[in-house]
Amino acid sequence: MEFSIYRFNPETDSAPYMQDFTLGDDLVEPGMMLLDALLLLKEQDDSLSFRRSCQHGVCGSDGMNINGTNGLACIMPLKDLKAPIVLRPFPGMPVIRDLIVDMENFYHQYREAEPWLVNDSPEPEVERLQSPEDRDQLDGLYECILCGCCSAACPSYWWNPDRFLGPAALLQAARFIQDSRDEATEERLERLDDAYRLYRCHGIMNCTQVCPKGLNPAKAIGDIRRTMLKRSV
Amino acid sequence: MSVLSGQRAWLLQRITAIYAGLYVFLAVVLLLARPPADHAAWLATITHPVIWTATAAFAVLMLLHAWIGLRDVILDYVRPFGVRLGALAIVAILFLLLGLWALWILIEAALR
Ligand code: SF4
Ligand code: SF4
Ligand code: FES
Repeated sequence: MEFSIYRFNPETDSAPYMQDFTLGDDLVEPGMMLLDALLLLKEQDDSLSFRRSCQHGVCGSDGMNINGTNGLACIMPLKDLKAPIVLRPFPGMPVIRDLIVDMENFYHQYREAEPWLVNDSPEPEVERLQSPEDRDQLDGLYECILCGCCSAACPSYWWNPDRFLGPAALLQAARFIQDSRDEATEERLERLDDAYRLYRCHGIMNCTQVCPKGLNPAKAIGDIRRTMLKRSV
Repeated sequence: MSVLSGQRAWLLQRITAIYAGLYVFLAVVLLLARPPADHAAWLATITHPVIWTATAAFAVLMLLHAWIGLRDVILDYVRPFGVRLGALAIVAILFLLLGLWALWILIEAALR
């Protein structure tokens, strides 16, 4: 099986280049994921660098651009990919080395969404209760693993990563706007209402298309818009 | 809602689009149903108070719609601050002139 992998080592390379790899057919097993193949290629050339941890689509560390689409290597079945498999780092993010990108700005925008519960009411004896219906509102929002596949696929985030929060952060903004226990809904909506933070989204829906957890940031953004509209009329 | 509201622009873009769509639809229906025979008839149609007002509103709202769209494109793609400001200014001035020109034509027609 053929691979073409983006290589760049800032200490030795003046420019990035694509390197071809071959994985012997005897090594390819049924049910193998792309990450398994990458680990075998790393045995051939241990300078090949990429992030990974859980190997089960939970930690979100091995996001990369696979044959032109962002995804997680650990849950991407090898048999679904057309060879040569072209692997590149996330588009639009600074490359640290090979498939490893600098996600600092991504996390910065996540913090900008203030992804924590704001509730200044006195704490009840046991816990802050929620009706099952209110709890259901958080489904499809809280499951995000912050892999970055969506934001790195969003043209609006490519052009304005410093000012547009990007789909991942906006999904978390929606998660706390929806939360019946949160008391800062008004402030959250107000902070998002400028020309950039939310409104650079043009509904291109790349985010929804690539999310490996099957989440729908584009819909969450639409829901924030609708909530804003309801509040202002 | 703040001065720099993103929501206002977004909402205005949608409202103006609905108005423009309705206007164009009704204008086409009207012109097909009763095509003006000559220039005088055309003048009479366009200066009818209801049609005149609807057309003036169309010109202004259409330009507003286009302004929001082009502003979006510039905010998206033109990154250097000075160039961005320049591009926004050029479009704003151009649209302002176009708007005044359209209104001038309509006013002239009404004064005939
Ligand atoms: S829907 Fe919005 S956030 Fe998602 S990819 Fe498109 S512009 Fe980006
Ligand atoms: S929304 Fe999906 S693609 Fe985006 S960071 Fe979360 S899990 Fe990853
Ligand atoms: S290694 Fe954890 S998500 Fe892929």
